[in-house]
Amino acid sequence: MDNPNFFGIRHLSPAGAYYLRCFLDIKQPELVLVEGPSDFNDILKDITRKETKPPIAVLAYTKEVPVRTILYPFAEYSPEYQAILWCEENNTRLRFIDLPSSTFLALPERCPLYAEGEEGRTSVYMELDKICGSGGHETFWERTLEQAESLEAYHKGAKNFGANLRSLTEGREDNWAETVLREAYMRQQIKDAVNSGIKPENIVVVTGSYHVEGLKNWQDSNEDFKGMPETEAVHTLMPYSYYRLSTRSGYGAGNKAPAYYSLLWEGFKRNEPGYSSYSYLVKLAAYMRKTGNPVSAASVIEAVRLAEALAMLRDGSRPALCDLRDAAITCIGEGSFTAISLGTADTEIGTAIGTLPDGVIRTSIQDDFYRQLNKLKLEKYRSPVCQDIMLDLRENRRVKSEAAAFIDLHRSFFLHQLRILNTSFAAQQKTNQDNATWQEHWMLQWTPEAEIALVESALKGDTVAGAASFEMKERVENATSMGQIALVIEDACYCGMETAAVYATKALQRMTVDTISVEDLAETAQRLSVIIQYGNIRKADPEPFQPMLSQIFYRACLVLEGACICDDTASQIIISAIGKLDSTELAHDFLDTEEWLKTLSNIARHDNLNTKLSGFAAAILLERGSLDTDSLRTEVSRRLSAGTPADLGAGWFEGLAMKNKYALIARLSLWESLNIYLTTLEDEEFKRALVFLRRAFSGFSAAEKDEIAENLGEILGLDGRETSEAVNTVLDESSQEIIDSLGDFDFDF
Amino acid sequence: MEEQILRLPAEQLFQNEIDALIAAEKHPVPAGWNMSPQSVKTYICGGEVNGTKITPKYIGHERLVEIAISTLVTDRALLLTGEPGTAKSWLSEHLTAAINGCSTKVVQGTAGTTEEQVKYSWNYAMLVAKGPSVEAMLKSPVFNAMETGTIARVEEISRCASEVQDALISLLSEKRISVPELALEVPAKKGFSVIATANTRDKGVNEMSAALKRRFNIVILPAPANLESEMEIVKTRVSQLSENLDLNASLPEEDVIEKVCTIFRELRNGETLDRKQKVKGTSGVLSTAEAISLLCNSMALAGSFGNGIVSDTDLASALQGAVIKDEEKDNMAWKEYLENIMKKRGSEWSGLYMACKDLSGE
Repeated sequence: MDNPNFFGIRHLSPAGAYYLRCFLDIKQPELVLVEGPSDFNDILKDITRKETKPPIAVLAYTKEVPVRTILYPFAEYSPEYQAILWCEENNTRLRFIDLPSSTFLALPERCPLYAEGEEGRTSVYMELDKICGSGGHETFWERTLEQAESLEAYHKGAKNFGANLRSLTEGREDNWAETVLREAYMRQQIKDAVNSGIKPENIVVVTGSYHVEGLKNWQDSNEDFKGMPETEAVHTLMPYSYYRLSTRSGYGAGNKAPAYYSLLWEGFKRNEPGYSSYSYLVKLAAYMRKTGNPVSAASVIEAVRLAEALAMLRDGSRPALCDLRDAAITCIGEGSFTAISLGTADTEIGTAIGTLPDGVIRTSIQDDFYRQLNKLKLEKYRSPVCQDIMLDLRENRRVKSEAAAFIDLHRSFFLHQLRILNTSFAAQQKTNQDNATWQEHWMLQWTPEAEIALVESALKGDTVAGAASFEMKERVENATSMGQIALVIEDACYCGMETAAVYATKALQRMTVDTISVEDLAETAQRLSVIIQYGNIRKADPEPFQPMLSQIFYRACLVLEGACICDDTASQIIISAIGKLDSTELAHDFLDTEEWLKTLSNIARHDNLNTKLSGFAAAILLERGSLDTDSLRTEVSRRLSAGTPADLGAGWFEGLAMKNKYALIARLSLWESLNIYLTTLEDEEFKRALVFLRRAFSGFSAAEKDEIAENLGEILGLDGRETSEAVNTVLDESSQEIIDSLGDFDFDF
Repeated sequence: MEEQILRLPAEQLFQNEIDALIAAEKHPVPAGWNMSPQSVKTYICGGEVNGTKITPKYIGHERLVEIAISTLVTDRALLLTGEPGTAKSWLSEHLTAAINGCSTKVVQGTAGTTEEQVKYSWNYAMLVAKGPSVEAMLKSPVFNAMETGTIARVEEISRCASEVQDALISLLSEKRISVPELALEVPAKKGFSVIATANTRDKGVNEMSAALKRRFNIVILPAPANLESEMEIVKTRVSQLSENLDLNASLPEEDVIEKVCTIFRELRNGETLDRKQKVKGTSGVLSTAEAISLLCNSMALAGSFGNGIVSDTDLASALQGAVIKDEEKDNMAWKEYLENIMKKRGSEWSGLYMACKDLSGE
């Protein structure tokens, strides 16, 4: 029996696309079989619709988490894409014959598509690079195949290339097992087609040139594919971008310069072999001019001539990309690549993205995404170029409809929802406002990655908001600390999703009951406090959060004293927690002030707690006017009385000094007490106290020290200015050594 | 007589290679050229034709050589720029030697170069005696090149005053030279072109006008890309030079060349080769060319005053001479390099380190 007509291609190859069409024109087959997952046949009709503009990709993904995906990109110059178009135009049947994507996704190690992954054959390509000299195999391929003069030349060349590559690597690749399986499957598909009554000579098989050899023996195929691994998979069309094509197309054959390749394709269509050369240089020059670098037409002409001379030196008939680029560097960039690098990026890679007609199978979440873009007038940001957007969340009173007045707020909700879903479309930038809050700065950039992330979220919900809400619910369920839930509540407010916020609040309430970590409580209280204070700008109703905050705050008051029994390291955390709770308490009237002050004064009074924390509590009370001068004096002399271990006394003072230093400086009596305390100390004790007091005073500024010095001068009867000088001088070396030695002091005796 | 010449032009030094390439020519030869562009590339980058080994003259960056040759094929003028010591003149000489078999049509650019030296001047005795005539005209190398359809070289073009540079502009765009005194217009023959070289980093150079730059295809020659290729260049050139100069010393060992190249590269790039440590740079450029002359220098020292083998002491004094140009600053940088980098390099380097340290006077 005859063989079907095999046509080996390179996957993203303008010449391949062009000559494949010629080939099909000559053969006029009844059936065309194309390497591609066999369950993709249903999308053919969408690919051929008029409104569909490549680059596009078929994305297949698993229906279960973790979501695994594979992508089949098509550019306009993809031979597969052109084959599909040809079949549509000529009413010819076309089928994909590779393993179904459900099997691909179930294979153990996910391999790049078409199995031409760089990993497997890197060594071969490196060898090829060496043989091909400068420019590597990429240039070699362009010179030999993309510039093929005729159908025969391409057909034969690709076949030989594939066969040679195969003989070099057969069996040595990482994904060899997968290749074997795929080829067996494809052979079976060919056999099935022939068995269905179509003569082999009326079939054209389009595959990567590498597989041509592997499919030759299709007649022997007699395998059973029932036991193949399988997972539930879905696929959808999605727009793709040239940028993504150039960075990770997944082909070993690579396609580093899609925009340039589309020029090659254009050249083929126009039947103008030199088209790509001069249009590349003309486009580059145009870009340079647009960006303010004058480039004369004469330079472009010289560059074309130089590129041709360079190609000639390599016995090429036409310049390859590297010739064009080098010519551009020499004639347009005055010898330096940096001068034209932006221009080359634009002409070689380009910013083209594909489009799909409305209603073409997308996941519903994609549909929602595009609907929202349209509704929120964000469509111009659907571009591969990164763009800024500033949002003013306040009501715009100059417009009539409510939707228009709050458009920025709704944009913000939408962008925050996308952020929750980890899509890279929107990235929030810092603004110079801290907590509040009517302005937001975002960077928007559409990339296929963002679209893929979106599709991956399809499992979570049918709309962007729905998926975000699901995601938040999951985060609440997996949360292990209150802080995490508080974050969800905050996010829910950012997203304008009250139900999610309420849900999270309930979870928070459940968790509050068992929480004893003051740190968590304080953190959560602060977050809720911010929402209650500033939430109305986002139209968030503070009502449901107030009882929650009261409860958390009360709980914090209850556990705080217990938490104050801790060592010095932990005391830092508690201090910041006390600070947060205090500022929260000050911000809201509905919180129980009396309870808070009672808690603080307990902490300040009790001797069994970390003295630093007691001191700090006293400082807050002092600041809030709840500790009068008399009680302070009593407390100071009690804490700093002889017989109290020096580290405890000085630690207390350190805590006291952490808040509102002026309140301390202004109280002369305090310094008197301190002075009396120091004079009562034994030498050894003094040394120990010194270490703590030094630390306490390190936080004071020079001006503050100055004022302390004045106080001391008063007490000791010295000149204030001299004292100040003594206090403020940087230590000389010998004193420093003494102090350092104190640091080694063994406090545990 | 020939032995008396200090330095033979390239086409005489490598006569046999050029002959072999011409004899084996397989590709089409452009008008006015002696060999095809492909053969020119083989001559510059090395290879083998019919059993004759062609020594590589320019190592690394083959693509730049291709661009340079292609530029000349398209009858455009070629401007080679780059830091000092990146083989600009060297490449220009060898290009003309291969293309025309003549590398001697040179205008040496200086601050004192005049327009006449680029175009033509007169034999004044004859001018006064007989009046203006073709015989009384002294043609410049550029003029000669136009008449013969060959390539003229303009060295250090950026050192010339701007009016001299301007004189080249019309020559390059019109491709003809006019002699109003004789009512004469001399068109350039096919094959005429100009290779100019210019320094990008030296002080005391004139800015090149944009108009002149537009007449040239500009190729920037970089410093050697990595240690291996730099060592290769140094080794090849040192052995060639020492033959010419009869230095009476054996060629430096591989590790000596490696040390010199390492020191030069590290001081030039401002970081160690493994890129882990920053190094203070020096005021001089420390080019590959300097590394070559430094090694020849130490060979001369060893040959004349030592036992014919380059010792660490010979190397140390040559290194110090090369590195320290601006007394105070470079001295500091060099000492820092010795202490921070070289000292910690282990036993292989200790000999050189001690010698350098002794010499630096502490």
